[in-house]
Amino acid sequence: MGDLTGKSALITGGASGIGRATALLFAREGAAVSVADLDEPGGRAVVREIAAGGGRAIFVRCDVSLATDCQRAVQQTVDKLGGLDILFNNAGIIRRATVIETTEAEWDQVMAVNVKSIFLLSKYAIPVMARAGGGVIINTASGWGLVGGRNAVSYCASKGAVVNMTRAMALDHGEQNIRVNCICPGDTDTPMLRNEAQQIGESDEQFLAQAAQRPLQRIGRPEDIARAALYLASDASSFITGTALVVDGGGLAG
Amino acid sequence: MRGLKDKRVLITGGASGIGATTAVRFLEEGAQVAVLDRDDAARNRIERDLPALRGTIGADVSEAESVARAFEELDRLLGGLDVLINNAGISIRKPFMEITPQQWREVIDVNLNGMFFVAQQAARRMLAGEGGVILNMGSTNGLMGYHYYADYNTSKAGVVELTRSMALELAPTVRVNAICPGCILTPMQEAEYTPEMLRAFERKVPLGRLGRPEEVAALFAFLASDDAAFITGHYFVIDGGEITGGLASQP
Repeated sequence: MGDLTGKSALITGGASGIGRATALLFAREGAAVSVADLDEPGGRAVVREIAAGGGRAIFVRCDVSLATDCQRAVQQTVDKLGGLDILFNNAGIIRRATVIETTEAEWDQVMAVNVKSIFLLSKYAIPVMARAGGGVIINTASGWGLVGGRNAVSYCASKGAVVNMTRAMALDHGEQNIRVNCICPGDTDTPMLRNEAQQIGESDEQFLAQAAQRPLQRIGRPEDIARAALYLASDASSFITGTALVVDGGGLAG
Repeated sequence: MRGLKDKRVLITGGASGIGATTAVRFLEEGAQVAVLDRDDAARNRIERDLPALRGTIGADVSEAESVARAFEELDRLLGGLDVLINNAGISIRKPFMEITPQQWREVIDVNLNGMFFVAQQAARRMLAGEGGVILNMGSTNGLMGYHYYADYNTSKAGVVELTRSMALELAPTVRVNAICPGCILTPMQEAEYTPEMLRAFERKVPLGRLGRPEEVAALFAFLASDDAAFITGHYFVIDGGEITGGLASQP
């Protein structure tokens, strides 16, 4: 028996990085997992890996910035997995640029993928959870949702929004027994991080070495964040809502 | 939770309330658990109730010498320490204008000075050994203003900063985090509040109820486990959403 036996989870950005690690872990813990992503080959590979391990998963192609796609992702999850108990709003992108350099289109895209997606998916998922007597929503925020970062203004704005919309949603839906929390990862070794290194013209090695400069002297692994998501998704955290769980090797402690 | 089996765990203030519930949880996880408490009657009771405990130690955390002696006893009991649940604490409900210097000192002595004395003894052993985890008991009262607990609130705010500072200096060998519970229904709470006051608390909590000691114990277990291997230097709120909207500070 896993911690999530009998539960159904929808994970956005589930094809890679933190989303992939969480999909694999949730499945090992007994959840049926809906892997939502734009990256179809990647998402289907995760589904195959889960199935090979004896777990249950489906792939849902989803552009999280589009209402129709979000609605369909929720509907397909409910139809094929029999319900929706856990929504992990994890899809995200980063654009490493200042206000001056960021284009309007980039700003809109970052806000749509990182913030609007949470609004849309929650909008469709919450009624399903409320009818079932409760549920859990976990949002991927960032350490840069709590403090400022350089050359990433759209990302910082979006993650600050994620932290505070987490709190607002926790207040609104506590009565329906829906817990809403966010995770604030520090630098985590994912495809997004490597893409970030590319954007600022650094080698992976340079970027990863810098990212490891924190009290625990290493970079985060997707599994570190997946474990935190499991804790927030499971009944072990049944009195926890409206919080930001920081998983960053102590990066923001000092 | 992963990685708690056979871990050597000390729980201060572990003979009653959240501490005692946490002892039960870590025993369920297969850990070797010792309890430190200054209340001899409660210690005798928990020794009877939890025969799986490796032992209990009588000590007052607010006295550095008492703590040092207690850790010598702990060395004999467990031969080292992997996890400290730095939990011992007291509170006295009083308007700010009525707190006496003696009461102020008593609360700070137990909740803040005591936490430091115990943490330093524990960290010395962890740094000399294979590392470990220190979890300090904070409170949402250490994050927001609350009526009638100026001394307690101040001590718990101190715990949060002590936690961050320790995390920086003891990394990467020792992980240090704090937890900040809101309203948890413990014997301490039930003795302190009338049923009407408890109902009023329930109304303030978005999840519509008070927390259970088992839920706090589960947070300790998560943070002590390998599942939280990348988590250090932070405080974790477990309050059913109470301070999420900043409406906690009602009389």
